Amino acid sequence: MEIEIFKAEMAELLEVDSVELTDELSSFECWDSLTILSIIALAGEKYNVTLSAAEINKSHTVGGLKELIKLKMS
Amino acid sequence: MNLTFHNKSITGILTVLPVNEVKFEDEIENYNFSVAKSLKLKMAMGYNKHRIVKDGVTISDLCVFGLNYLFDKELLLKEDIDALILVTQSPEYFMPPTSNVIQGKLGLKQDMICMDINQGCAGFEIGLFQAFMLLDQDEINKVILLNADTLSQKVSKRDRNSNPLIGDGASITIVEKSEKPNTIYANIKMDGSAFDALIIPAGGFKTPSTAETALMVEDSAGNFRSLDNLVMKGDDVFNFVQREVPPMIDDLLLKAGVEKQAVDYYMFHQPNKFMLNKLADKLKIPREKMPSNIVENFGNSSGVSIPTAISYNLGERLMKESLLICLAGFGVGLTWASLLLQMEYLKFNEIIDF
Repeated sequence: MEIEIFKAEMAELLEVDSVELTDELSSFECWDSLTILSIIALAGEKYNVTLSAAEINKSHTVGGLKELIKLKMS
Repeated sequence: MNLTFHNKSITGILTVLPVNEVKFEDEIENYNFSVAKSLKLKMAMGYNKHRIVKDGVTISDLCVFGLNYLFDKELLLKEDIDALILVTQSPEYFMPPTSNVIQGKLGLKQDMICMDINQGCAGFEIGLFQAFMLLDQDEINKVILLNADTLSQKVSKRDRNSNPLIGDGASITIVEKSEKPNTIYANIKMDGSAFDALIIPAGGFKTPSTAETALMVEDSAGNFRSLDNLVMKGDDVFNFVQREVPPMIDDLLLKAGVEKQAVDYYMFHQPNKFMLNKLADKLKIPREKMPSNIVENFGNSSGVSIPTAISYNLGERLMKESLLICLAGFGVGLTWASLLLQMEYLKFNEIIDF
């Protein structure tokens, strides 16, 4: 998993120019159930992992989400 | 489970939609979200307008209207109906079956079978399976499959998760013994351990409706609904569909010995554009072969969505041509089913307003 590519993918979904791993997911202006669904779809398409809305919410930050996906990929 | 049926065909489809049309923007104020966020949702999911019954209209109204239309146009003869199968989750009563109510209203012959089936998103497939099985009887030559739902009545207007996509309607599908031999391949699976992925929690015998079950409560995403309302675990349903539907279609085509590109159209249940586009991509099917334009024009009317998609997208074409069609329904139950059949030279295939 390329961190820079993942950050770029997240920035696009979160509708900002760039994100940091420490950024809190719920702090983004666009954060809602549609963004969560878009993350679920991205994780399935690009990383072949299945995420639930609850898991995404529990991961709190961009970095937490990255760890969640990495864990599921292994 | 794999199923095969022999020498059966669909000879006509009529879809009946309530004329009352509600636009997404008309309801945007009901939702506990900014207008900008709701408009983004509209774009992504393909929401626009949906057909909703007026208060007091129930499924027998829609079905009787459609059947009378067919009798009046002499596209169907009353005395030819040997069975009425009604697939619905909006029955008029717990007892009797609503199919019997429809039989009585229309004055159909007594020498026939009426049957209600409680199914939703895969209701067109389940109904066809039942119709095909009945047609194996010597005395049953014509089965009328009715798919009908008015679930908008159970969806909270303040639930942005379900309200923008729900639609009401009914469809009438004529199923008969085929004059020329054919084989219809099908499959179906169920997972009742996820029975609550799509559910109306209260109002049945287990949890009767009370003042408490009518209380509106806000969920973690900001939607308001009560236990009397339909609730959908959107993320679970999305994951279920992406996980189970592609292998189901692959299996179906393998059993039938048909290549993906040989199928003319993939007429799938219509939950929303987002989910269907993802499904087409995962199946590596061109999106134009899998129409996803029903939610934006009419709403998702559960088991009625596939007949609506066929009537809307292939209308007159299917009256003049022969097309290889793959059908798939997936959702409440959980239930997922698909079938592959040649559809051709229908006597009628259209949408009418109620």
